[in-house]
Amino acid sequence: MTIKATEVRVGDRLRTRTGAELTVTRIDERFMGRPGMLAFVEDSQAQWLKMPASRDGEVERVDGAPPAR
Amino acid sequence: MDERWDVAGIDGEPLDQAALEGRAVLVVNVASRCGLTPQYEGLERLQARYGPAGFTVLGVPCNQFGGQEPGTPEEIQAFCSATYGTTFPLTEKLDVNGRRQHPLYAWLTKAPDGEGRAGEVEWNFEKFLVAPSGEIVNRFRPAVEPEDESVLEAIETVLAPLSPAR
Repeated sequence: MTIKATEVRVGDRLRTRTGAELTVTRIDERFMGRPGMLAFVEDSQAQWLKMPASRDGEVERVDGAPPAR
Repeated sequence: MDERWDVAGIDGEPLDQAALEGRAVLVVNVASRCGLTPQYEGLERLQARYGPAGFTVLGVPCNQFGGQEPGTPEEIQAFCSATYGTTFPLTEKLDVNGRRQHPLYAWLTKAPDGEGRAGEVEWNFEKFLVAPSGEIVNRFRPAVEPEDESVLEAIETVLAPLSPAR
């Protein structure tokens, strides 16, 4: 399913346009200095992978973060 | 050259360090499916222009940015030579950030950019200029084109001591 980029939370699993997948561990503001861009990063034992997105765009979410308790 | 430069070439054989020794090296993490991929053209022009004066581009394929370098070594090499006619060396695919970051990038990323920011590589086509002495002298973020005036000036500055005395 696709969701708004601004709705992505840490723990969400996303798929990039090339098919690579990442579980978000960090959300960076101002990708490459652009206020209209975000970047989702997985920095884990498994991999380091970064995926940028426009703030007003949508991204493909493969799996959602566990509900907050 | 020291152990930081211990890396295989795209063909899997150890990189010929003698080919880099005493030269200015522009280390660039590259990807084949990125909006910045056409920067290969400018990188190759830099290689042609400054190569004879003691300069080398070193391309480092990396799949950590959007998964935009997913190919095999053979695919990457074929893409670069067929699409952009590149002649400069490529390394094996490396991690430039994260827990499996290659020692070359553990060293490079300690260098700050023009705004004083060190740390993670931001995206594909970030450029580090290493002087013939082995010192990192400039870091250019991905949006800086290979033939930007700031890059040309930096390369010419580090190559100046190698020029024949007038």
